[in-house]
Amino acid sequence: MKALLTSLRVLLIAAVLCVFLFPVYWTVTMAFKPADEWTPTSGKTYWLPDHPTLDNFRRIFGGTPGGSDSFLVSTPINATDSIVTSLITSILGTLLALSVGTFAAYGISRYRAGGKMLGFSILQLRMFPPIAVIIPVLFLWTYLHLFDTHAGLILIYGAVTFPFVVWLMKSFFDEVPREISEAAIVDGCSQFGAFRKSVLPLVKGGLATTALFVFILNWSDFLIALVLSGNNVVTAPVFLSQITSAATGEEFGSRAALGVILITPPMLLSILIQKHLVRGLTFGAIKR
Amino acid sequence: MEITTDTTTPAGGVPPAGGTRAKPVSPHRHISRLLILPGVLLLLLLVVFPVVMEIYVSLTTWTPTTGSPWYDAYQQWTWFDNYGGGLTSSSFLTAVVRTIVMTVAATGIEFALGFGLALLFLEKFLGRQVATVLFLIPMMIVPAVSGFVFFLLLQTTGPINTILSAILPGTVEARWLTDPTLTPISVVLVDIWQWTPLMFLILLAGLMAVPEDQIQAADILGASWAQKLRHVVLPIVKPIILIALIIRGMEAFKIFDAAWLLTQGGPGEASSTISVKLYREAFQNSQWSYVAALAIVVMIFVSVAASQAIKPLERRQEESA
Repeated sequence: MKALLTSLRVLLIAAVLCVFLFPVYWTVTMAFKPADEWTPTSGKTYWLPDHPTLDNFRRIFGGTPGGSDSFLVSTPINATDSIVTSLITSILGTLLALSVGTFAAYGISRYRAGGKMLGFSILQLRMFPPIAVIIPVLFLWTYLHLFDTHAGLILIYGAVTFPFVVWLMKSFFDEVPREISEAAIVDGCSQFGAFRKSVLPLVKGGLATTALFVFILNWSDFLIALVLSGNNVVTAPVFLSQITSAATGEEFGSRAALGVILITPPMLLSILIQKHLVRGLTFGAIKR
Repeated sequence: MEITTDTTTPAGGVPPAGGTRAKPVSPHRHISRLLILPGVLLLLLLVVFPVVMEIYVSLTTWTPTTGSPWYDAYQQWTWFDNYGGGLTSSSFLTAVVRTIVMTVAATGIEFALGFGLALLFLEKFLGRQVATVLFLIPMMIVPAVSGFVFFLLLQTTGPINTILSAILPGTVEARWLTDPTLTPISVVLVDIWQWTPLMFLILLAGLMAVPEDQIQAADILGASWAQKLRHVVLPIVKPIILIALIIRGMEAFKIFDAAWLLTQGGPGEASSTISVKLYREAFQNSQWSYVAALAIVVMIFVSVAASQAIKPLERRQEESA
């Protein structure tokens, strides 16, 4: 009886898992399908690519697909720039949020800086719909000539993920016993020296986790880049949404190929921070 | 926004748990201000200033298309006309109600599914570790990609209808992306797919923390499965459930990416959430000052809700510190 129940349970879990992974499966297989298998106008659904091809990947890096499907040669697409832009803005935005946020988190955790209000208002920022905050930033950016620049995106990514860093790092700092920094001060360190030499090494893991988290957040952004960039600085998610073809209408295969490239880094990084994933996504409220 | 440091609380904060030495206060206050200074500056530049600007513009009829810079907007002063217009606009109010309904639906279904899954995972089975990791994958998918792939899946001739046709009697030809009653459901569907795993992980963490001996005690007393759940497990997990609901609810309320990528809020405004509505008014209708007023209204609304929602989060962080 118990064995039967367990196998039923595992079966149910497997079924749910299949449903949840199907969209990922569809993205990956779509990336390897030739054009005539993208949309089943014939009524046939291609559950697997019949004629798997790398053309879609070639196409998003400026190549023209060979073979019999070369009616596709419309304007060449090149996603390299957008991927580089995404990398630059996400990484530098992460570093900005991390450097500013870590200090603030330490101030709030160790010295209760800003009283109760500061931590509260910082977290509240995460609750505003980004569009409500981004539109005035667009006014400001146009005025400061930061619209459609790398610097503009980096600044805003840093600011938007800053609350996240503060709350997550605060939860890590809270775990460091106060006595540790006090001992360092007794040993002759300055307040800042105690932070750098005795506290910071203890939260190295937390710092790395936070960094990866914030990178994933920035890398995933769509709305901010859509609003704050024009034609010069296009991030990969925005680029993905704009790939269309004059000849065939929709470029499903190329978009899926870029999609596969886009989802790979967060998936790999999430394995590294798997232990802290819940903590990160709950702003440090739930530790596991 | 409050940015000044609260000078009435001692900057040294609560005395260390085991420490007894009195500390001079001034160097602490100094360093604590120094530590938060860059953060406060960043917030000033990127939040306080734009919001002040937004309030200013919302009191005028300014748009960039008038050709005059934003600081000259006072020439088109209208006081609270934009606010009056927004609060009496049925299309804005509908978008607000729609967003709330979608948020409640998404959060509720994610909770039910996540809780069910977490219960299934509670007892050990072969491959539990692997299955847990696989369930993380949807959360890690970049929203631009999930929007795109659901756009493919939900085509009328797409795989979802094909699968449904195979399971259900008859041929399913649901127009997921063009039928006004179905499009909001499609958007919620993407959210459920992407974020049920988070709900599941949070609740699993909560359920695993229920002390074994309490369950055993209930067993000895002859409690049924449902009684154990209701009287032993739920009271312990309640704070975590609350946090899970708050965090998901507040994220779902912001929903934009899926709605925009699937249907651009359409057909008409059938799947316009607040975020999509604001985006469309700004970038398709160039109603900048109107959007500014709506954004201020939304921020006030969210601030009131947030001040209540944050309390359990804060309490939780302090308790487990």
